[in-house]
Amino acid sequence: MKKLLALLTTGIMVLSLAACGSGVNEASGNENASGKGTTIRLVNGKIEVDAQLKKLSEMYKKETGVTVEIESMGGGVDIQGTLKGYYQAGNMPDIFVNGGATDFSNWEGLLVDMSDQKWVSDTGAAYVDEKYGTIGFPYTVEAIGLSYNADILKKAGVDPTSITGPDSMKAAFETLDSKKDELGLKAVVGYCAEVSSLYWSTGNHLFSNYLDAGLERDDATYIDMLNDGGKLDKNRLTAFGEMVGLLNQYSDPALLVSGTYDQQILNFASGKYAFVTQGSWIGATMTSTDAEAYKSAGNFEVGMIPYAFEEGIDTILTNSPSWWSVYDGDNKEEAMRFLQWCSEDTAQKVLVEEAGFISPFNSCQYVANDPFAQTIVDYQAANKTSGWHWLEMKEGLAQNYTGQVFGDFAAGNLNVDSFVSTMEKVCQSAYGN
Amino acid sequence: MNNQDTVRNKVVSLSLLFIGICMMVWAVFLDFTNSAVSFRGPMLIVGVIVIMIGAYLYPTLKNHRKIVNVLFLFPLLFTFGVTVIIPLVLGVFYSLTNWDGIRFTEIIGFGNYAIMFKEPSFVWSIFITVLFVIFNMVLVNVVGFALALLCTSNLKGIGFFRAAYFLPNLIGGIVLGYIWQFIFNNVLTQVIFKFFGSQASILAKTNTAFIGIIVVYIWQYAGYIMLIYITGLTQVPKDVLEASQIDGANKIATLFKIKIPMIASTITICTFLTLTSAFKQFDVNMALTNGVGSVANFMGDYLTNGTQMLALNIYNTAISKNSYALGQAKAVLFFIILACVSLLQVSISSKKEVEM
Repeated sequence: MKKLLALLTTGIMVLSLAACGSGVNEASGNENASGKGTTIRLVNGKIEVDAQLKKLSEMYKKETGVTVEIESMGGGVDIQGTLKGYYQAGNMPDIFVNGGATDFSNWEGLLVDMSDQKWVSDTGAAYVDEKYGTIGFPYTVEAIGLSYNADILKKAGVDPTSITGPDSMKAAFETLDSKKDELGLKAVVGYCAEVSSLYWSTGNHLFSNYLDAGLERDDATYIDMLNDGGKLDKNRLTAFGEMVGLLNQYSDPALLVSGTYDQQILNFASGKYAFVTQGSWIGATMTSTDAEAYKSAGNFEVGMIPYAFEEGIDTILTNSPSWWSVYDGDNKEEAMRFLQWCSEDTAQKVLVEEAGFISPFNSCQYVANDPFAQTIVDYQAANKTSGWHWLEMKEGLAQNYTGQVFGDFAAGNLNVDSFVSTMEKVCQSAYGN
Repeated sequence: MNNQDTVRNKVVSLSLLFIGICMMVWAVFLDFTNSAVSFRGPMLIVGVIVIMIGAYLYPTLKNHRKIVNVLFLFPLLFTFGVTVIIPLVLGVFYSLTNWDGIRFTEIIGFGNYAIMFKEPSFVWSIFITVLFVIFNMVLVNVVGFALALLCTSNLKGIGFFRAAYFLPNLIGGIVLGYIWQFIFNNVLTQVIFKFFGSQASILAKTNTAFIGIIVVYIWQYAGYIMLIYITGLTQVPKDVLEASQIDGANKIATLFKIKIPMIASTITICTFLTLTSAFKQFDVNMALTNGVGSVANFMGDYLTNGTQMLALNIYNTAISKNSYALGQAKAVLFFIILACVSLLQVSISSKKEVEM
């Protein structure tokens, strides 16, 4: 009897194990299906366009029968970390997002060179690696500049094109500051240097103006210096620091040190700031999350001026903020076919008109319904754009080092001189280890 | 007849064992050679099951019980091995290489360990973690004990207070961190602005932000410790308390001479509980300040990770600075420290038990 019981329990154990086994079986079955090239998987880094990409995937399925699974990540998820986990687990997506040189170097030798694809000749924004060729597919263009509320500037009689250097910027800020009450402004500038969650705005985007503003697209002088042991150009950085000081001075004190991104955008969309230190990506937030406030502020026109911390700086910084890469796996042919299709007319219509992307492809006929789209198109047409070399900075530089220095400057613990010297010290130690 | 049976059983059992092992080896071999055969997973499992049946059928009286025990322990041992032992061994191994999260190209020995102690920001993290542990070990226990005394007195609505003090512990650390970030950044700043005219958030400066983390941590953890103390206090024998009252001991004397000595073992448990959990502090730290804060001059460096504790430092080293091997080396040190603390705890509490 006892023996029978023992046998019975062993039998149950065996059965449960077998059940686990069948689970494994199903999973490997799926893998097989994708091996036949009927399903490809895309990891998207812009969660805000998840729905639009899913629509694209449906369209593509109807046209070709190939299923494209969209897996969206965002909102603070560490995408590269997750992808590394996927790699360890042998679960790599066929197309995934990469944000810059450090991201691409993670996947050295694991990405497909797409130089022979048709779309490459149609764009200047692809990510090209010296050794591995074209390994990044661009899908949108974003711009870094000092965004302004055109209606308010008009009312105050300030011409944005007159701001060409530090003096004219200061004069414009002063004029606006004196008319603050009659314009209904809370502050002239919405500049936020909060460190723990907005380090990317200061340490990456604002700092990128030190690296690139006013330079040719492929001018890598300052990024090369920085990557050579954290060297900085003292004169340029001092001029830049003085502009940051000006932003500190005219920013909303409630926002400056401990504000949030949401507050910053909401206040700008409600017409409480004349300028905001965020780039073109806020257009999407203004017309969706903050649409009500934006509407009651009169759906004002917006534009962008260069961060002119030296006289004569006249470019804004535009680039594809991240790229899609094809993983060198079984489905690479299918994946590249999908990307080619994305660069063509049917897909571009959805990407531009519904997802609000600004197309990096010359053949694209559509203009996005985004408040900033026209400004970017204008700057591009006038050839007044610089590159985004901050993408080549050492990984984690803004989060772990420079963001804090901007925060200290904003909190009043540093002045322009000590801002410069601290920045030098911090960059050196960041590159030292 | 019986003998014949045994021989037959032995042959069946041994052949089952042999088949099982063959299947497993082949499955593992297929896996390592990256074969596309889809049945290798099921085959591995069937192999394991066949081995188990073979071992169970093995005709031995002396070891039969042992075999059954091992078979029943197997799922647990297997899970423990896969989720704890293997990662630990791999982790120590990776800390000796230049692993970047994807692959490694060379074994660099103890280089990572040498680097991490030369890194001022890491030394600072160790320093403030120790400071944080000391502060919390004392404060959480004092506050928790005080609350426990309140909640064992004859106040009205005791149940409500117990639940209210315990509630913060049920909220996850990340949520809690964001709630308090809002309080510090948006509510407290307005109060400060009314009274002092400055709008600085306490999270903007390293030393005040550190106090902020301690406050939040006490708020989260004191209720939990309180519950343990309540259990201890209610278990103090009534006759001893009554005897002391007859002898004329006042409340304070009762507390220090009777209650506290009687719950000495509870105090040990709570002290170690707060010690280890404060040491492992991560979620509140990450959500509240994300480790930022500046230190003007520490070991000749301008530090930008003023409130970054050890666990967060490890995470940031690996994830945001993309040095997985260095982060792994730090994690090994972290493990060693925590293992020492746990061993110390075990030895102390076992001694106490002998005494009592």
